[in-house]
Amino acid sequence: MSTWQDLVTASLIGTERTAVPPVTVCGVSILADAPADPAALLLDRAALLTVARRGGRLAEHAEPLPVAEPDPEPTVNRAAGHRLARLLSGEHPDLLTEWLSAAADRGLRAPAPLLPALLDRARRVSPTDPELRRLAAEAGGSRARWLAGLNSDWKFVTAFTLTGDDAWRLGDAGQRRGYLAALRARDPDAARELIAASWDAAGPERVMFLSVLADGLSPADEPLLEAALDDRAAEVRSRAAHLLARLPGSAFRQRMAGRGLGCLRLARGISGTRLVASPPTECDAAMRRDGITSGPGTGRSQLADQAHLLLEVIARTPLDTWTGAFGRSAEQILTVPAGGWAPVLFTGWSRAAMAQRDQEWMAALISWAIAGGMPGHPSGAETLYKLVRRVDPALGAPGTTASDLAVLLPAVRDAITVLRFRYDMLKELDDDNSAG
Amino acid sequence: MSVQWVRVSTVAERWDRVRVLALAPDAPSQRAAHSLASGRSWLLTGAAEPGVLWGECRGSAATPYRTVVDLAGPAYRCSCPSRKFPCKHALALLLLWADGSVEDDAGEPPDWAAPRGVRGARGARGGGQPPRDREVSGGSPPRASTVREARVATGLAELDRWLCDQVRQGLAASQQAGYGHWDDIAARMIDAQAPGLAERLRALASVPHSGAGWDGRLLEEYALLRLLAVAYLRRVELPPPLRETVRSRIGFSLRQADVLAGGEPVRDHWRVLGRRDLEQDRIRARRTWLQGRKTGRLALVLSFAPVGQVLDDTLGVGTDADADLVFYPGAVPLRAIVQARHDALDGGPPSGDTIAGLLASFAAALAGDPWLDSWPAVLDVTPARSPVPAVSDAAGHALPLHPGAGDCWPLFAISGGRPVTVAGEWTPRGLWPLTAWDEGGRAVPL
Repeated sequence: MSTWQDLVTASLIGTERTAVPPVTVCGVSILADAPADPAALLLDRAALLTVARRGGRLAEHAEPLPVAEPDPEPTVNRAAGHRLARLLSGEHPDLLTEWLSAAADRGLRAPAPLLPALLDRARRVSPTDPELRRLAAEAGGSRARWLAGLNSDWKFVTAFTLTGDDAWRLGDAGQRRGYLAALRARDPDAARELIAASWDAAGPERVMFLSVLADGLSPADEPLLEAALDDRAAEVRSRAAHLLARLPGSAFRQRMAGRGLGCLRLARGISGTRLVASPPTECDAAMRRDGITSGPGTGRSQLADQAHLLLEVIARTPLDTWTGAFGRSAEQILTVPAGGWAPVLFTGWSRAAMAQRDQEWMAALISWAIAGGMPGHPSGAETLYKLVRRVDPALGAPGTTASDLAVLLPAVRDAITVLRFRYDMLKELDDDNSAG
Repeated sequence: MSVQWVRVSTVAERWDRVRVLALAPDAPSQRAAHSLASGRSWLLTGAAEPGVLWGECRGSAATPYRTVVDLAGPAYRCSCPSRKFPCKHALALLLLWADGSVEDDAGEPPDWAAPRGVRGARGARGGGQPPRDREVSGGSPPRASTVREARVATGLAELDRWLCDQVRQGLAASQQAGYGHWDDIAARMIDAQAPGLAERLRALASVPHSGAGWDGRLLEEYALLRLLAVAYLRRVELPPPLRETVRSRIGFSLRQADVLAGGEPVRDHWRVLGRRDLEQDRIRARRTWLQGRKTGRLALVLSFAPVGQVLDDTLGVGTDADADLVFYPGAVPLRAIVQARHDALDGGPPSGDTIAGLLASFAAALAGDPWLDSWPAVLDVTPARSPVPAVSDAAGHALPLHPGAGDCWPLFAISGGRPVTVAGEWTPRGLWPLTAWDEGGRAVPL
């Protein structure tokens, strides 16, 4: 409306320097008692026009958006949606990936209103968590793809719809991993052959290859893993060793079982049964090939070096070595006194349990730590922190009530909180798959 | 090894996480509090009668931050330099306590956590004083009210001169003016006992920096303020409801008791359309918009709390309340008090209006109250993005979204390009969406 713009212009210049433009509003007669002060007159005319413009406002036009494709998959139930909102608002942010992959495993979608926050979070993803973008795209389904068409910040979502070989040939690290993991699930042998064929040309991706092999591990994978023990990268060697430790009947398992039993035995004496450790004195070439490192070494005490080697051996020794040789369950072994070596054993067994995905050992280690066995050493807290994020929470969630937490060590308290959170989180996703 | 498993809380009834998080001044504070709410961050925590929590939290400084929360207020004190209130440490401490991770009966609180210290600090932090209701003056004795009327009249005459001066000298200078320019005249309106005007004036300081069209928006506000001043000076000529509207916009307030005594209760199933929380001068205000299912009447319920305290949460978005509402008098009675609640009901989605319908109802309301600048909208619309973020109805009519409402991505996500029912505030700058109903008919606060 040009008369309004004229008034605005006059008000910017000031009535000292310019005249007050006339104003007409349909159906309103000219103000009878107009003030003599031009400034007051301008304000009165502006007031009239302001209200007339607000009241007489006309609708505008907007370009319609495309319509999102319907998503065949159901949305998670309400409780799970609330849980996702909590994760996105900062509560236990490190468990978001687990929520997303658990939802993906069950073929469930995240609630639409949470997708913008989820996609923003995935956009800011750190390189250490390459799975998050792929998982967010999967949990978002067709609605997330639709949103990505509106906001270029979320373009990575549509990138994930690269299908088939394109994802492998053209995709980024996350897409290639997604392709390979899907192939591994569908046809483990084909995945292994693809990995073997790509191995020599691959750079740091070899670490990712091994993380894919971790699912659906079988004796057929042994030659590839055994070869990886001679890899130039320490990370690759170490991962290959941990995978071999999981592989029933592998040569590696037999080598490690022998070393393990040489380091730790059960002794029955007058003061009862105890665990006696005799750490290796040096790290020979064969041990190094199996992923054992002698550690930083320089300037440390001999005891520290010994503890390190013991830890390295225990962490790679198949856990059933102990249950077999000692004739006791994991829980029973943990109750046997081990003196000053107990913290090393706790950490070593914990690493072994996580690498070998041994739920029984993980649950036993957590119960033992929570019941007061955990060493006060900071590494004990760090180990427990990792254990409670890996264990199947159905095995590890103790039925403690809310008010007892306060008397526990902070690390134990946090561990219980995480276990409960994960237990509830997974249960909710299973509760009802039919919610729309 | 045995752990003492069961302990009875003697300190206070534990709050849940939702209640704690409702105290956070913003979403980043919530996130920060979550990450601090673990045993690793706290060197010590404790709780004792009468409802005091304390803790020492590792921060970036060499010495840990000392945080104290008095649950009764709640009141907070923390040695951290944060200007947020309550700070993330106080929130994290409350979260730990809500999870049962703070030991009750932890013995005597350390000296620095003495309850007295919290309250003292509350004053020092700049007034956690509850405003009770900002309705303070209303029922003064007749002589006092005459004095006030005269004072307001003098103040308004001064405001009118100030407004005319602005326009005489030209608004172009406003872009260089600092906040003090508006704070000065606002302070004089406080002296003149016209707090409503003071609030409006203070809000103007940001207009010159609000982007294209700022000049027009400032002129609108100045013009409406002069209209208000002139209307008050000629109040005896006004019909009584309009006179009430003018008085309330200036800042004369009625006591709730007087409103309840003077108005007829309206019973209906009030659908809670949406709400919006605002913060000003360390006071949090919650605007809750209602619509009567039977009468179709629109209502606005306001509640206030000092920063760091919980706002009234009894009217949940997406529910219906069978309640008696009493409306404040005015030319367009909108603000109301809940006099009695009979029942809470599950609410389904409301039936949305068209954009033409909304514009017509707003025009009719403006005819009664020309200062009205937010009006409840319930629309069946499809969100759009071009040429500006907007909503569009089946007739192809569109209205822009309020630029201050952000990018509104959740609204778009719910819609997926299909029509949704949206409730919000219609303002001269656009629609501020508050609630959308998803495919399942559930209300989603935006």
